[in-house]
Amino acid sequence: MADESQKAVANDFVNSKEVEKPQIQPLSLPTVEEIRGQDIWNNCAVRSVVSGVMGGGLGIAMGLFLGALDNPMMQEQMTGKQQFIFQAKQMGRRSWSSAKAFAVMGFVFSAAECVVEKARAKHDITNTFVAGCTTGAAISAKGGPQAACMGCAGFAAFSVVIEKFLERHQ
Amino acid sequence: MECPLLVSIKIRQIFGMAEKEMEYRVELFNKMTQSCFNKCVDNKYKESELNMGENTCIDRCVSKYWHVTNLIGQLLGTGGKQ
Repeated sequence: MADESQKAVANDFVNSKEVEKPQIQPLSLPTVEEIRGQDIWNNCAVRSVVSGVMGGGLGIAMGLFLGALDNPMMQEQMTGKQQFIFQAKQMGRRSWSSAKAFAVMGFVFSAAECVVEKARAKHDITNTFVAGCTTGAAISAKGGPQAACMGCAGFAAFSVVIEKFLERHQ
Repeated sequence: MECPLLVSIKIRQIFGMAEKEMEYRVELFNKMTQSCFNKCVDNKYKESELNMGENTCIDRCVSKYWHVTNLIGQLLGTGGKQ
């Protein structure tokens, strides 16, 4: 008798635990809007432009932050207001150049990755590698072929590391 | 005026052919889905959405499968002569 009551209590405990589990969602095929949305996002041009804009935003933020850290050279000769204006201009210049650099980087990286992935029809780390190499080479192309090679290798390694880190944490 | 027996036989024949056609289509869909899924989607399901690479792969797989089906259908049709 005591065994049965114990089993009943155990069963109730297990049942209430099972009821608390989240309900499984029913299967639903993608709607037309979802398919269109996916098609728009899979377009290489749209993707690279969005990445470029995001890179620009990041560049603005970083430029503001780094520009605020620089101290003006003629600090003693300017009044407080002049210092403020100079500082603001410097931050603006810095953030604009930084925004341009980051926007180009994001655009080229995203475009290269999209084109390579569409050509290979596979989702690999090789896509990230090739895209990183292209971006690095494009950024440091002005320094000659050797600088382009170094830029390619460096940026490719960097992007592969970042991709592996992001994969592991998701 | 047609004999009603012949008419009913014809109707049953047409229904039979439609059923066979439907079964054939369903079989084609199932085989195509199975084969393209096994070929294109990696086993390590890292996320629930389809990547761009997988999307492209499935597009190409379905197109090729369709072409192959049509080609083989044509070859079967003219296969008796050769």
